[in-house]
Amino acid sequence: MPFLIENIIKVVFTLLVIVVIGNVVIIGLAFARRQRRERYFQRIDFVRREFRPVVGNLLSGRMDYQEGFNRLKSISGLDRLYLLEELLLEKRPTASEEPVLRRLCEDLGLVRTWQNRLAGHMDTASVREAVGRPEGIIERVGKLRFLIRAKSAENLGILRHRESWPLLVKALEDPHPDIQSVASRAIAAIGEPESFPALVAQLHKVVLNASTAALSLRSVKSSLVSFPLKCASGLLPSLRHSNRRIRFLATDVVREMVAREAKGEDEYGLDRKTLGMEMAEVFLTQLPFDENPDVRARSAPVISHISDPRSAPVLLTLLRDTAWFVRLHAVRALAQRRFLPQAGEIRQSLSDPNWRVREASVATLRTFGAAGFNQLIEHFISTEDTYSREQVADELQRGGLIPDVLRRYGEDGDWRAAQVLDQMVRMGKTAYVLGFLSKEAQPPVRKKFLVKYVKDPDPQIRQWVARLATSEPDSEIRGLAMAALESRSPAAER
Amino acid sequence: MEMWRQIFIHGMDMFNVVIVAYFFLGNGMYTVLMVMSLVAVWLHNRRLAYQGLDELRESPVTPPVTVIIPAWNEQEIIAQTADSTLGTDYPDVEVIVVDDGSTDRTLQNLIDHFHLVKMDLIYRPRLATKPVKAFYMNPEIPKLLVISKENGGKPDALNVAINMARTPYFCTLDSDSILEPDALLRLMRPVVRSPINVVASGGIVRILNGCRVEKGRVVSVSLPPSRLERFQVVEYLRSFLFGRTGWDMFGGTLIVSGAFAVFHRETVLESGGFEHDTVTEDMDLIVQLHHWAVRHHRKIRMCFTSDPVCWTECPSTVKMLQKQRRRWQLGLCQTLWKHSEMLFNRDYGSVGMLSFPFHLYVEALGAAAEFLGYFMVPLAFFFNMVPPLLYLLFVLLSLAYGGLLSVGAVLLEELTYRRYPSFRELGTLLFFAFLENIGYRQMVLYFRFEGVVRFFAGSRKWEKVTHVGAGQ
Repeated sequence: MPFLIENIIKVVFTLLVIVVIGNVVIIGLAFARRQRRERYFQRIDFVRREFRPVVGNLLSGRMDYQEGFNRLKSISGLDRLYLLEELLLEKRPTASEEPVLRRLCEDLGLVRTWQNRLAGHMDTASVREAVGRPEGIIERVGKLRFLIRAKSAENLGILRHRESWPLLVKALEDPHPDIQSVASRAIAAIGEPESFPALVAQLHKVVLNASTAALSLRSVKSSLVSFPLKCASGLLPSLRHSNRRIRFLATDVVREMVAREAKGEDEYGLDRKTLGMEMAEVFLTQLPFDENPDVRARSAPVISHISDPRSAPVLLTLLRDTAWFVRLHAVRALAQRRFLPQAGEIRQSLSDPNWRVREASVATLRTFGAAGFNQLIEHFISTEDTYSREQVADELQRGGLIPDVLRRYGEDGDWRAAQVLDQMVRMGKTAYVLGFLSKEAQPPVRKKFLVKYVKDPDPQIRQWVARLATSEPDSEIRGLAMAALESRSPAAER
Repeated sequence: MEMWRQIFIHGMDMFNVVIVAYFFLGNGMYTVLMVMSLVAVWLHNRRLAYQGLDELRESPVTPPVTVIIPAWNEQEIIAQTADSTLGTDYPDVEVIVVDDGSTDRTLQNLIDHFHLVKMDLIYRPRLATKPVKAFYMNPEIPKLLVISKENGGKPDALNVAINMARTPYFCTLDSDSILEPDALLRLMRPVVRSPINVVASGGIVRILNGCRVEKGRVVSVSLPPSRLERFQVVEYLRSFLFGRTGWDMFGGTLIVSGAFAVFHRETVLESGGFEHDTVTEDMDLIVQLHHWAVRHHRKIRMCFTSDPVCWTECPSTVKMLQKQRRRWQLGLCQTLWKHSEMLFNRDYGSVGMLSFPFHLYVEALGAAAEFLGYFMVPLAFFFNMVPPLLYLLFVLLSLAYGGLLSVGAVLLEELTYRRYPSFRELGTLLFFAFLENIGYRQMVLYFRFEGVVRFFAGSRKWEKVTHVGAGQ
């Protein structure tokens, strides 16, 4: 075996030498990299120190454009473009800064460079030059160029460079998924209506060729919903598409668009002009009766905003749908004060077999203010349905309504509040009530509650009475609690 | 007598072959993972330049997430953790803290800090759990829910919160951990962007010891003072930056740290939630999800991303480290044993054919082989079965190779995230990457060996690692 052993020794020795060299190379690389980065940061810090105020003044209009432009133009070196990019796109520009920034980027040649790069035309430098530029090596390696191209698309999006939209639309067909993804976001940022159909086409592509799609549905949807509502008419063919999933996604995109427009407005109303006559008709007459329950569900929120006498009846139809999530979306859609006349029907949903619908019904009634709250309370007091009672009790607690009920209870004559508490006690949902009574309620309220429920078998109330007997500051209440405890003692019970 | 001698020598020979095979197989695979990770992490880092976090933050399509923080006797840090999590930079986040029957002031501290009130809320247990004692909320902070329950262990606490969560995704977070402000947003990026349904997404866990924390946020990063903690910094870099990244590239993610991971709630519910029969419930869930996907013919993805950061405290004493590593190894063995039908099963793709065998033979059983090797190889040398030069070279190769993997991890960190800013820290990291192989590695190996022994002894003990409040 000596021959074999010798060979093994040679192999192990060779491996050892390779591994040691590997170690040394890695350590060397780590230090070299650190040194290079240090130099890079020093350079970029210097540029920021010198030129950040110039950029700030230019964007805010405090500096003459030509003067600022000339100063930025003075930045030189192999990494000039990179530094300018870092400097100008350091943070997302505000709407008022955008025009100046766009002009600057155009005049400095950045936009042209980004457009060229996105189109795949790299100004490939020599090896020596490439080493001196932060992205030089990547430019020279064909397979890595997608990094620069995607970054260029991103920059055009940040800048909202309107003229670049055709290039970005073309990039949606790029073989690299990163380019597609960034291009889709950039198109959304620019918001050019003419580019909307290209994204709709992507939506169809993702649905119909799911296994080969590079973009995710969420990414395409996210881009589509960024467009203004006036573009939604571009989705009409999708809303009528034979594929049920495409119809669903198109409905959902319109829903998100409308939700964005309605945000912050209590009673946002969509007239036929905003949404388009044809679109409004599709939503009122076609989608709520679609065979796909997802479509029916997602149509409800849009219908709720359409100012049309047919809206409420259609929503009430959806409220009686066989699919629980359609009912859920319908009841959520009704959460606008103008649907107050429908409160009675909504109240019926409090007894829905699905808990999420019950929960949403409670939330909807609450948005109606005092009138809705009263409906809720009426239902809570009168219903025999345990599940809906539980749901209302949940909302009373989560919504922080118990203190209000207790305050009303303290005021003589509010029989509703008294009945709510009665119900809560019967259900054993007393933790919040007792917590508030112990810490924050006025002594008279505490006393009133104690007198009424002192003999209740609820374990939480019994513990509370015991606590009152020892630590209640009000002597009268303490006395009452002590007397109750004594009457509860085994001797008394015998 | 001669016969016994021959048997002994033959046995030793066989064992040495196993050791050498293990050495080359294990290190060969680690090298492949390292090379792949170098490419993957570098590329990922470059891609961050166009990641579009702002769009993700503003998009209505970004799904809401519930962060679940299970806590057992964490009175010192729990309020701070909940506080900083509530302040996470994410468009729609809810936080559920589950007090798993603590015997200290964990619950009371939460009540006091957030002015919580006790409520009798509806509990719909889709996953069976130990009884819930009470719910606490502050109507002014509707995004926070605290649940108090009977002690049932971490998986049970997580299941309670999953039952109560209402969002499509939930994120598990250890109570001693701190999320970077945009960590959740970064963790959700693959969920939103991937064309394949992502059911689990894990991020990197970094060591908090040595860092400065203000108001629940890490404000400056530096290396911890003690050697034991520094070794762990190198270890974590190796484990997260190239271990998990490499497996992610293969599509063979088998471990996602439960200290910080996002899961799709409905899929987890359908797969049965966190189970109690292993001591590493996070790994068990990942393997369970693979099962679920194969059973239901679903195309899913579980991914690891290296830029969302969660800071966590590592053990600062040998005793705590021993407990932690023993538990991890025990859990690894339990999980692999429990799901052994995945081994070399083509239905599971790269997980069944590559990742599972690697974890079983190299990570689980390899610990025992390597540990015994430390005794058997010198014995072979003692009995003149191995030439002294070969023995010496082999020992040196083993040390140098271990060093190469650790130094590679430090290089990866240097090429990408550079969290340790000074030259001095880089030097220290490289020094500890080497030093780790002399003493520390053997110590950890012993703890792992203990874990393997406990597995064969049928232990199911969940060893709690107590924290001292590093970085506070």
